[in-house]
Amino acid sequence: MLRPPQGTYHALNPTTKLVIAFAEAAVAFGVRGWTGPIVVLLVLTLTAFAAGVARRMVPFALATIPLVISILLVNTLLYPGATDVIVRIGPLAPTGSGLTAALQATLRVVAFALSAAILGLTTPTDDLLSDLERRGLGRRGTFVIGSAIRMVPRMGERAGEITDSQRARGMDTQGSVLRRVRGIIPLAGPMIFGALTEVEEQSMALEARAFSAPAHRTVLRTLPDSGSQRAARWILFLGALAAIAAEIAGVLHLP
Amino acid sequence: MTLALAGARYRYAGTPRDVLDGVDLEVEPGRVVGLVGANESGKSTVCLVASGLAPASIGGRLEGSVTMDGVETRSLKPHELAQRCGVLFQNPTTQLSGTAVTVFEELAFGPRNLGLEIGEVVARVEWALETLGIGALAPKDPVRLSGGQAQLVALASVLALRPAYLVLDEPTSQLDPQGTRLVGEALTRLAGETNTGILIAEHKTELLAAMAQRVVVLDAGRVTESGPAAEVLGDVRLSELGVEPPATVRLRRALSEAGVSVEPGVWAVLATAESRGSSAGLQEPGLQETRMQVVSSGPPGVSDRPGAGGGRA
Amino acid sequence: MSIRIAVESVGFVYPDGTRALEGVDLRIEPGERIAIVGQNGSGKSTLVRQLNGLLRPTEGRVLVDGTDAASLHVAQLAAKVGLAFQNPDRQIFAGRVRAEVAFGPRNLGRRGAELDRAVDEALDAVGLSDTGEVNPYDLGFSRRKLLAIASVLAMETPVVLLDEPTTGQDARGAARVRSIIERLSTEGRTVITVSHDMRFVAETARRVVVMRAGRIVLDGTPDDVFSEPNWPALASTYLEPTLAARVGARMGLAGTATEAGLVRALAAREGAGDA
Repeated sequence: MLRPPQGTYHALNPTTKLVIAFAEAAVAFGVRGWTGPIVVLLVLTLTAFAAGVARRMVPFALATIPLVISILLVNTLLYPGATDVIVRIGPLAPTGSGLTAALQATLRVVAFALSAAILGLTTPTDDLLSDLERRGLGRRGTFVIGSAIRMVPRMGERAGEITDSQRARGMDTQGSVLRRVRGIIPLAGPMIFGALTEVEEQSMALEARAFSAPAHRTVLRTLPDSGSQRAARWILFLGALAAIAAEIAGVLHLP
Repeated sequence: MTLALAGARYRYAGTPRDVLDGVDLEVEPGRVVGLVGANESGKSTVCLVASGLAPASIGGRLEGSVTMDGVETRSLKPHELAQRCGVLFQNPTTQLSGTAVTVFEELAFGPRNLGLEIGEVVARVEWALETLGIGALAPKDPVRLSGGQAQLVALASVLALRPAYLVLDEPTSQLDPQGTRLVGEALTRLAGETNTGILIAEHKTELLAAMAQRVVVLDAGRVTESGPAAEVLGDVRLSELGVEPPATVRLRRALSEAGVSVEPGVWAVLATAESRGSSAGLQEPGLQETRMQVVSSGPPGVSDRPGAGGGRA
Repeated sequence: MSIRIAVESVGFVYPDGTRALEGVDLRIEPGERIAIVGQNGSGKSTLVRQLNGLLRPTEGRVLVDGTDAASLHVAQLAAKVGLAFQNPDRQIFAGRVRAEVAFGPRNLGRRGAELDRAVDEALDAVGLSDTGEVNPYDLGFSRRKLLAIASVLAMETPVVLLDEPTTGQDARGAARVRSIIERLSTEGRTVITVSHDMRFVAETARRVVVMRAGRIVLDGTPDDVFSEPNWPALASTYLEPTLAARVGARMGLAGTATEAGLVRALAAREGAGDA
């Protein structure tokens, strides 16, 4: 349970991986054109293979599809001020500029999602939070973040149970969209009520487990760090900021 | 050196009436005190007050005295209280931290908060897992636990703090008979071996008959009876107060009320049942072998599967 | 009202590969009072969820009123088979007791005076008639559990499933559940209770189905199931016969699963001894 993570990328200090993810996201979004996102995606793909998490990244990439579809549609069809129409289909007039913008935006979104995915897949949450706590993030801060991260599986589990009980009382979950929307309203109730009454009990339970003790919280796994990693973090962080600044200043002229 | 309530009166924040109306109660190290009463008698409030969480954590107004080893709980901070007295509430899911990805991490939550050295943290977690026989649950995701499993994990999390006193509000409510027996035995051992003082609120009077030295009866915020377990649980007035007497007591009463004469052998069976808290069934000769055969077929009383609806098999 | 349920060689494996049911055969006649017992993990809750369609068998089939349950939506089965969940807080969502109870029957199409009547009767059966306008979370846990049961009673289904109705209940609550089961039975409904409280089961059920590791190991009346020849089977499921059954067996008496049964048997023996 407390074995240190295996693999070079996995064994990097959590904050290092966090900074890498930040740099990747910053460059993907901050640098206009194709270069930013494409470079980041290349780096991500290589890293994913090197760290052995490539296959597990696929669901994260697929999860961006709904957003990507809407980006493609909106930009291609409705790009403001574009006149280079590709083809006319009735009232629709997709433009070349729109398409380019759409594809670039798509690459950015996917790059962002995958950079977060690599961070999540190679870093146990507890390690990341412990490391941040050691560097000065308060106990409450780490608790809030940790709790938020676990919120999704918790709510998912709970939502499943509530839906089951409502279906068992005749609520129709098949059928028209309107009915399904009406079906969500009963779901919100127990989720929220339950969540609120639980909050008070949970904060008592936390106190009962010495949550507010003044000591430094014990770290579960030793999280190695090194001078070279520290240097790398600064270089990546400043480098990403510099790239964005250069882009804004109009100095970078990349495709 | 005890956990003691003297003349305790308590009302929740923003409410006009006292829920506890002068409660006297004492838990000595190494002893188990049972707390019984109907559902709205104030048992849970007694637990909150005894552990110091009321008023330290939830506010409200407390009069009278609540002391742990001579120190007024009012003068202690929540984390100091937590180290002296472990508390378990009725709803197991709210007691989980919500931040751990494995049961192991969940149990480590408390000891880590105290800043204990990592070797000590691991030792305590392993000890708590072993005490309740839930080693198999260690790698599981707390979100996926069944009600009974969550209750065992919540109890283990409290044990991991190694407090001198334990205040438990219906710790076996979600457990099946085997799980209940396991917890009862573990707590009895704990009281004996580590001198932990235990206050346990329960509906299962058979369990209390087996574990507790003293039983306190609560009704409408007051203690109506307090004395040796056998005496209190055998009192005829118990059912009037909404408490179900243990099976042995009921049966004796039913037999004598019916005026049926019973051979001495029957009373012997009842006596054995009483002394073992009605778990005598499996201790009877003839069933011994069957029991030994089945012990090896895996941990009972613990379900091991993702849920598909409220309540698990 | 006469719904027959047939469980035919049903097996169930969860998506993660855990097997929960194996080769379960069960025939339930209209109006039966059955208790399904076993340790946590024996498959009792899983079995019960096959009956209202929340889970579908991976092997075998379940026939409800002659139709394969697999061909019906859960919402359709809900009109025939009602299930009260073990944890009321996963079920209760309305801000008022009355609204909560009305949810089920409204989904089944009841309106107006008919709906009101169903709600009134259900609240009366569980003893919550005077709490109609109360917020469910202002009721204690024990009464919320009764509220969850009322929500299912109001649907007036021919078959009622109660999942661990007595856990967390005090003596009064348990007595209330007992009277609910009596009432349902008098109305001719089939009542199926999942429980691990052997005494409660002996007193309220006419048929006890004992499960272990996904299979049925015993099926009979309480007197049968708790009689001495079946003790090894019970022991293998880590369940115990009731104290009354054990005392009765020690004295060589039959039909002593309940305390009343034991007293009767002893009185009868005494009467016979006098003659």
